[in-house]
Order: sequence, then structure tokens, then C-alpha cells
Amino acid sequence: MLSISRTLEADVVIVGGGIGGPMAAIAASEAGAKRVLVLEKCHVRRSGSGATGNDHFSCYCPEVHGSDVEPVLNALMNSLVGQAKDVDLMRLHLLESFDIVKKWEEWGINMRPLGHWNFEGHALPGKPRAFLKFDGRKQKAVLAEQMKKHGVTVLNHHPVVELAKENGRVCGVLAIDATKTEPSFVLVKTPCVILSTGLTHRLYVNGSTPNYLFNTAHCPNNAGGQALGWRIGASMVNMEIPYTHAGTKYIQRAGKATWIGVYRYPDGRPLGPFVTKPDPEYGDVTSDIWNSAFIDVMQNGRGPAYLDCSENTPETLAYMRKAMFDEGLSALIAYMDDKGIDPAKHAVEFTRFEPILHGRGLDVDKDGLTSVPGLYAAGDMVGNAGCGLGLAAWMGWRAGRAAAASAALVPEAAGNLADHPVIRAKMELLSSFMERTEGASWQEANIALTQIMSDYANVGPYKVRSESLLNTGLTYLAQLREETKNNLKTSCSHTLMRAAEVLDLFDCAECIMRSALERKETRGSHKRSDFTFTNPLLAEKMLDITRKDDGTIVTSWRNTRV
Amino acid sequence: MPPIIDRNKCVGCGTCVDICNSNIFVFDRSVDTVPRVKFPDECWHCDSCVIDCPKGAVTLRIPLAYMLLHVDADTLKPREAK
Repeated sequence: MLSISRTLEADVVIVGGGIGGPMAAIAASEAGAKRVLVLEKCHVRRSGSGATGNDHFSCYCPEVHGSDVEPVLNALMNSLVGQAKDVDLMRLHLLESFDIVKKWEEWGINMRPLGHWNFEGHALPGKPRAFLKFDGRKQKAVLAEQMKKHGVTVLNHHPVVELAKENGRVCGVLAIDATKTEPSFVLVKTPCVILSTGLTHRLYVNGSTPNYLFNTAHCPNNAGGQALGWRIGASMVNMEIPYTHAGTKYIQRAGKATWIGVYRYPDGRPLGPFVTKPDPEYGDVTSDIWNSAFIDVMQNGRGPAYLDCSENTPETLAYMRKAMFDEGLSALIAYMDDKGIDPAKHAVEFTRFEPILHGRGLDVDKDGLTSVPGLYAAGDMVGNAGCGLGLAAWMGWRAGRAAAASAALVPEAAGNLADHPVIRAKMELLSSFMERTEGASWQEANIALTQIMSDYANVGPYKVRSESLLNTGLTYLAQLREETKNNLKTSCSHTLMRAAEVLDLFDCAECIMRSALERKETRGSHKRSDFTFTNPLLAEKMLDITRKDDGTIVTSWRNTRV
Repeated sequence: MPPIIDRNKCVGCGTCVDICNSNIFVFDRSVDTVPRVKFPDECWHCDSCVIDCPKGAVTLRIPLAYMLLHVDADTLKPREAK
């Protein structure tokens, strides 16, 4: 078996150093936790979807929005991001997030690039706008610096691959030390874990470039982190409600809302009724409202759909270009410049991408606490709240404070983590991948999974799910799991990390299919050919799914919290 | 496939190796003075290595399959306006 290079102890362990993770770490430290440890798969300076920037932060600003948060909340809940979310969490997020904005500004992130609080994009004409435009280019460096100032320990290149539980509570973490070519294991005993691993890609055949797993709209290295919570018995929610992002074709790194233009058919007519001329304040919200627009126009032959920015003034185009840098799209801009693609002269085709787990995952309370004591989650991996970066920052902050308070009350777990049966089994499985001299690559397993998901658990409006298809998909997934366990071969810490991701993706896939079986109706893109109606009795309910310690899987319905 | 390191500019500081969003570089100083892109298919094209390289030695090459589909915007003008 691979060696255990280190055994550590911490009051609070944070899994993932993107946006929610650093905020949780800083908050936990401020709240009195002495040993705060961030385990990051890559490097906190450039990890996650916010690696090189972001330009919109959801929050409620009284001096801009007025004294009532409800109109802003309503606008948010009626947009794509509000789909299948607990209203109470989203309200609290809006109410408290402006304090986070002010904190970020104090720390050195440019939250007012125009000199005032500027809310734009992702909005319907005439409705309040919930997204503060900011310049996120330095966000990661600033958060890394703040973690250092707060005495947080960061272990970069340490992907977490398993959690352990003792007497019903989280007791530890298994990570791979991937700082060297030869991997080893790191064990951390802790009473509190905050998961903040981001959203999950690589479950379905890539929507724009089928042969490329890493052409994704968000960080492709966020793959299956929800499964860490699933395996330890945390309730998951909304896993069966599909989310699909949209953007430029074929490259997925697009920052859809940063573009200021009008979606048009090839004959020039606008796709949607919302704008006919480019509007910096609202953008063209058509694809937020009509989520399948870009594939509908291909299916009905009227497409493709283009985003036309050419009618902007030179000033607005310059503003848009700068916002693209703020959003972290410098690679796209460099590519466009190199190829002579100019938004003033060219219209760019847009498409809908493959389904991802974005705002689908762990069911949490207002402090990010999951159904497992000591386990918290924040950010895009949360299933009952979600609003990208702003929500990750806010929920990370709350989770960090709550975890610090909880850790102070809990005596240290007694057992030896290396002997924990779940940890031991995972170490043995991963070690077996390294010991094999011949075998399958992680890519083979990942691609096979995307094939199964796209054939047996795909999403509407043009693909259906059914009891027959989903049960068949589960059978094939079980076969693939077994084949993978018995045949996967890895050669270094990097490929071992990818192999562990694939195992996580398998669990996410199972969770999606089992939830989809239980939702016996059609809702949004969850299109059941055997239940073609939308059941009004489920309109204000959410589906929880939990894996019990004995391996049985249970589902239950709960009311959406208002 | 991306990224491309200019051997004449690279000073072997290892920054790109350390900060890469996808861990696609390897750097064995006993073998070469310049990092190697070992897992090019896993590049997310986030631009971190380009931005953080202190010598401006890194550029990205976007794969052909990622081509940005576009047309002359004039072709989209409504017919009656032409």
C-alpha cells in the first residue's frame, strides 16, 4: 500500500480553496479556531472557477435597491439561479452579502471599478438587478493573502478523497499528497469539515466538444466533490433537477452574462422579446428565461443563434472588453484578438452546454451545516442555495464561523484514522491502482461514465428519462464501477487524483439517477417520458436523497423553505 | 496543445507548475531547465500561467476543436433594413 506521509490534527478542515473555502477559513480563524487547515487540490492562488476573475457578485445594497430586499429577491428567484432554491437562504444571502462586499473592498478587491455600486446583467428589463459588477482579477491573490494573515495553514496539491465518521460525527479526512510524482496519503483528524469543492463537470458528454473533457464553462477540476458528502451520509437535494449553462461555441470559457448584445437568428430577428438593441444594464436575459433556446433553434432549423454586439457604442464595447478581463476571460480575449474576431464586427454563435451539478448537492441550513454533524458545505456544491461566487463567499463565511464554534465544544475523536474501515478501504483501493502494471486509464472510465449518463439520464427538451432508461443506466454504472475498480491503472499522483475524481463522479451519477427515478413527473429539463405532466403537488417541494451507513439509499420530500 | 513555454524567456522559476489550475505541468530540474506540459488535454485555458509568469514566457494555444464560431455581424441585419 502507498505510504502515509503525514498524520495531522485540525479544529476545522476546509476542502477546496476556491472562493467559499478561503472565506470559511478566514471566518473560522476570526471566530477563534486555532488550527484551521485548507486542503486544496491545485493551488489557492489560482484554483477553482474564480481562478482569474469574476465580474458579478449577488447582493442587496440598500443605498441602491432601497429599503426593501423583497423585490431584489423576487427578481433573483424568478431567474435561472433561483430555480429550486430555498427562499429563506437566498433572502439571507442577499441581506448579508453586502457586508462581505465591503470586507472584500477593504482587503483590496476592486468592488467599484466605475467608482460607484454598479448593478448590471442577468436581469429582466424594469426589474431590480441583484448582481454587483466588480473586478475580480485579484480575488484569489487577496483571499490567499488574507488566509496567511489569519494564520490559516494551506496545503496545496492535496486533493481530499474521503471523509470519515465516528459516532455519527465527522472525525477525519483522507487526502493525497500530490506535491511529488510519487503519491502518498495524508490523514487529518478533525471534528469539523467544510466542503467547498465547487460545481461538478465531466458527468455528461461534453456539449460543445464531445471529445474533450476539459472544455468547460467552469473549473473542470471540480469533479464530484458532492460525493464526499454523499458517501458519509449527508442528505443531497435537487440532484435530479438538471442545470445547463450556455455560452460561446465551441470554446466554453465564455462568461455569458459579460457579453452585451442581442441574441439573433441568422436572419437578424431577435430570439427573445426582452431587448432589440444591446443594453448594458440588463443584458439579453433571453437564455436565462428560455434555457433551451440555443438548442431549440438548432432542432427546429431556424438557428443557429448568435450574440450580436455590433450595435454597441465604442464606449460600451470598451466597457465590455474590460469586464471580460474582470471576469477572468483574458485567454478568450487573447484568442479573439489573435484570430481577428471583433465584437464590433462579428457575431458569435452561442450554444447550450452539457448538464452539470451547479447548485445541486448538499442540503444545508443557514450556516452551511449538512445533515451530518460536523460537516458543512458552501458554494456551488450546495443543492438548496446557489448564486455563484457571491453565495460561495457568504456561505463560506457563515460555515467558517459555525464550524469554529462547533469545534470548540467537541472533544477530540479517539480512534486512529488509519484503522478507520472507510479510510482503510479507500487507501487500499487507490493503492491498487498504483500497483497495477497494465490497465485502463482514468480517461477511459470518465468517458464511459459520460456515455452512460448521456444515454440513460440525459435532459430535456429533446432527451427523456424514464424508469426503464434510468434503471438500465444504474445497471451499466454498476458494471462500470466494478470494471474500474478491477482494471484502473494510475502511474503518478496526478493520475491517481484523476482516478479518485472518477470514483466521485460515479457516486454523483448514481445519486442523480436514483433521484431522477423518484421524481415521477416532468419538471424543467427533467423530462420523464413515463410521467409527462408536471405535478402541482410537488411545486414547492424538494427531493432529498441520502445514503445510509449500511449502504441503503432513502429518498424523502420536504417543503421548500420560504 | 496549450500552454507553450518560450525556452528563451523561461527562467525555470516553477511558478506555472505550482499555480496551474489543472496541475498539467511537471518540472524535474535534473532533467530540464524548463517545465514540461505533461497533461495538455487537461488545460482549462484559464490563463493563470500566462498571467503569473514573471517573464512573459507562456502563451496559450487554443485547440482547433475549440474554434469560436462567428460570422460577419452585417449578415444578421434584418432584411428590411438592408
